[in-house]
Amino acid sequence: MVIMCLGVLTILGGHITPGGGFQGGAMIAAGFIFCLIVYGLKESPFHLSHDFLSGMESVGALLYVFLGIAGLAFSGFYLYNLGVDLYGLVPSFIQNLFDYPDPTHAGIIPYLNFAVGLKVMVGLTAVVIAFMGFNEFKDSSEEETEEEGEIE
Amino acid sequence: MITYAGPMVLGFLLGFVLGSRIKLNPESELKYDASVYLIFLIVAFIVAYLLGPFPYYQDFPLADGFVAAAVGIIVGKLLLGRDRGPQELED
Repeated sequence: MVIMCLGVLTILGGHITPGGGFQGGAMIAAGFIFCLIVYGLKESPFHLSHDFLSGMESVGALLYVFLGIAGLAFSGFYLYNLGVDLYGLVPSFIQNLFDYPDPTHAGIIPYLNFAVGLKVMVGLTAVVIAFMGFNEFKDSSEEETEEEGEIE
Repeated sequence: MITYAGPMVLGFLLGFVLGSRIKLNPESELKYDASVYLIFLIVAFIVAYLLGPFPYYQDFPLADGFVAAAVGIIVGKLLLGRDRGPQELED
């Protein structure tokens, strides 16, 4: 869980420090993978269902695409870093909530990192879960063929 | 002092998603009771303090995104992290 928190922190600081969505997502996925390797697929405290994996993958991809389309809508350029003051209409307290007031004024970059982090976290974990699932399936099918051979 | 809400909100959100996935197997011999999460929270605070005000924000003397993620994991576990049902055990 500490590794996962560190991954979250890497995602959050991606716009001004080394790291970002991919690296942070890979760190969170590493936390999941450690759990799966140590405890196994059945005993692991973190249970990622197929619906959750596909849902998070879709949410990450859609968030990225919609942020890009927002840039297209407000400036004419896809993925334009539009910031938070949209047409001068957004009240200042909402701007302060969503703005990252560091020297770089990151705009939408942290949110893009967030979307990429979700996608990478789920994608890498899904690969390992699929391999472990195939492995169990292979072991059980081998046992069945051995039993059939003994019966014959 | 300006409090930067962005990292804390996003960190809490990601932590909540991760914590909601803690679904224990009731047939397992491994038990995770409240003490595990208490120790995790204490360790998270120590790590956050040692990390310092990462990434370069100066509002708190500790990494607030890290603490927000840790709190998010525990809140997610408490609200949504139930034990696995028989259908989930088969999946």
